[in-house]
Amino acid sequence: MSDSKERLAESVSALMDGETSEIELHRILKEVGIDQDQQIDSSDSVRGIWQRYHMVSASMAGEPVDKIDLSASIAVAIDAEDTHRQNPVTRFASLAGRFAIAASVAMVAVLGVQQLNSPDPASADALQFAEMDIDASQQNTGPALQFPEGFQPNAPVRTVSAGGSVKTSQPPVSVVQVRPVNSMNFSEKQLRGYMDDIMLRHSNNAALNSNRGMLPFARITKSEAASSQE
Amino acid sequence: MRLNHWCKNLRLAAFIAAIFAHGPLFAESVKSAYDLVRGTAKASKELNYRGVFTYEFRGTLRSIKVVHLVRDGQSYEHIVHMDGAGHEIVRRGDDVGCTRPAEMLLLGTEFAADNSPRLDDLYSFYIRGNARIAGRMAYMVEIRPKDKLRYGYVVAIDKLNGLMLQSMLISQSGKPLERFQYVDISFPGELDNIQIPEQLVNSQQAPGCLESSEAVDASASKWQPTWLPSGFVLSDIKIDSSTGDESWMYTDGLALFSVFIDSAEKSRRFPPVDAKLGTTVAVLSKVTVGEQHYAICVVGEIPDATARQIAASISPRASTIEGAVQAIK
Repeated sequence: MSDSKERLAESVSALMDGETSEIELHRILKEVGIDQDQQIDSSDSVRGIWQRYHMVSASMAGEPVDKIDLSASIAVAIDAEDTHRQNPVTRFASLAGRFAIAASVAMVAVLGVQQLNSPDPASADALQFAEMDIDASQQNTGPALQFPEGFQPNAPVRTVSAGGSVKTSQPPVSVVQVRPVNSMNFSEKQLRGYMDDIMLRHSNNAALNSNRGMLPFARITKSEAASSQE
Repeated sequence: MRLNHWCKNLRLAAFIAAIFAHGPLFAESVKSAYDLVRGTAKASKELNYRGVFTYEFRGTLRSIKVVHLVRDGQSYEHIVHMDGAGHEIVRRGDDVGCTRPAEMLLLGTEFAADNSPRLDDLYSFYIRGNARIAGRMAYMVEIRPKDKLRYGYVVAIDKLNGLMLQSMLISQSGKPLERFQYVDISFPGELDNIQIPEQLVNSQQAPGCLESSEAVDASASKWQPTWLPSGFVLSDIKIDSSTGDESWMYTDGLALFSVFIDSAEKSRRFPPVDAKLGTTVAVLSKVTVGEQHYAICVVGEIPDATARQIAASISPRASTIEGAVQAIK
């Protein structure tokens, strides 16, 4: 007898003395069910052990020992009772009901998660814009030959939205990051001018080609525009 | 017993019905989110309006005053930057009949014979409720990309006339990168008295209107990209045959990027760089064909990784290489 069976036999013995816990009782009943499903009908099965123990206790009490199995007829009687007979319609309805609950919970979960993930357009984004500044400055700490992103503050003015490092009245400048490569002969100023010019050419093109009406024109500023006319 | 069962199911049915009837999720989808976004192209082209909008990015705020007028099928635009140096643009806009590739893609019209994906294959559109922008009621629409190659948007669309009142660019992590938003806008009536200068009426609109639904011809180009993010279509190309400089513009209907190929002496000295201004990224890479140096620059409001991948994929056509080899001989 395996270890677990031995423990189970102990539980059965305890059950007969009325000393099992609720959990133990359920475990025993479950084992009986499993044995029945697998059609184990040897003396090794839980059911067999249970029957044997009863016979032992009966013989010890001097009662006549007889192996009568009432379980089959009791099962038939239970099946015959009205409450346990299943009408196909009600069975379908209750199944459908269960399915409906599962489906609606799933739908709520899907929609809820979607809405959680999506940015809430109604909320004030000032904070997020401010956060972005921090992100931007963090991202640009890195490789060699990097230009600082902001200017020195030349005016003691703080705009309302200035949550980050750019607290100046000057227009923002592009962050130019040189990929490490063998050195070439160029000046920062020329490179910045060239990149600004390229971005301006793009903004001009974009303003003409986009579907967003006049909004893209906001990206074009005077200083940049002046450089493109050269 | 059975009655009890039915009662339970009835309650369930009521619960499910309550979920389906829940307002903003379904009730307003009468006009789909995609249709609303499509409508903005027409509205921005055909409406008369005057307004002030703000442009916000990285803690910076700009305000811009605009007037858009349509007279006799021609449109006129006046743009004044209200801050800083006060940059002003007065220009002839696109005629009402002018269609550009970006609009074709947005509308989902058959364009560029190849089977490029439609806009709703690239993005998902959701109505996210209502908002009041610039004193007008608007639908909030979220446009979420289905891949990682482009950004998403949250836009506010005027309920009455379909004009876009707000547009936010949203990063892949869901953070807003930039925001355009009208703070004040007014429609016709007072605009009827504005005099348009004769000179402007007789000026030409910018080239690039589509005459047919054919793809933009790129055969004159000496270069070609071997990889493009799905859905992007060439919408404009300029080739300067004297210098060999080329400028391309690609769009998927919402996002845009440009490719500049410069053989100019001035760009020769520069190393490859990555640059960023607000939401615009620029990736400059260098290519040498024969003895000629070229600077290839991809610029646009697209994720850095996408820009880098495009830049890396641009290569000279076979004929260009042969030409260069012969030049050396």
